[in-house]
Amino acid sequence: MGVLDKLFGNGGKSAKGKADFSDVRSGSSSTAPASQSVGSQRTYTVVAGDSLSKIAKREYGDASKWQRIFEANRDKIQNPDLIHPGQVLNLPQG
Amino acid sequence: MRRYDLTIAARAGLLAVTLVAMGCSKKDNTATVDTGSSAETAAVAKVTDLKVGRSIGADKRLTDETDAFRPTDVIYAVVETKGADPNAALLARWTFQDGQVVDESSRSIAAAGEDVTEFHISKPGGWPKGKYKVEVLLNGQPVESEDFEVK
Repeated sequence: MGVLDKLFGNGGKSAKGKADFSDVRSGSSSTAPASQSVGSQRTYTVVAGDSLSKIAKREYGDASKWQRIFEANRDKIQNPDLIHPGQVLNLPQG
Repeated sequence: MRRYDLTIAARAGLLAVTLVAMGCSKKDNTATVDTGSSAETAAVAKVTDLKVGRSIGADKRLTDETDAFRPTDVIYAVVETKGADPNAALLARWTFQDGQVVDESSRSIAAAGEDVTEFHISKPGGWPKGKYKVEVLLNGQPVESEDFEVK
């Protein structure tokens, strides 16, 4: 690990040699039907490089839906421009 | 002297038999607890298998199972579950060799019998070469993991 790595830690983009996974796309499907439970709630854990619009784009295919995520997580997010790696966000129904 | 040795040997043998019996007894108790637990919570699904690969078929099962991927591959993790749970929460957590979380996504399913659930990740910019791991959690508990590599 180089000096830059130590200086920038988890900064991701700036740290030399640190892999950047901010553009990873994901999905899932199942032979089982989706749970109909009222209490079911999809969640997403923030990773380095994420923003609400990126998450909205990935989860709903529409970056402008970031406000839905913001509204569903008002108790955790004070500033929509500031989310932290490791935060677990509730994802409302698209 | 020979008689004394035999007495010691006999005692040692008795001790060994006692310890083995205690071990068996403990194992039996554990089994009893397990049986009681599953009987008590009949509506429980469990993960029976986790595999990774490069493509899946219409049945969600892998058609190209591998643990060695190319940077441009879509990577699939296929989770097989068995049992019934109207609200089973599956979560796939993908990590890189340095511990960095690559992605985490969850899916709540109404499990009934044998089901197959796939999680997939892709990266338009290409996967960094190295070792990865996918870990599957069921209702918040880690149940299976699989290592793979991008070469």
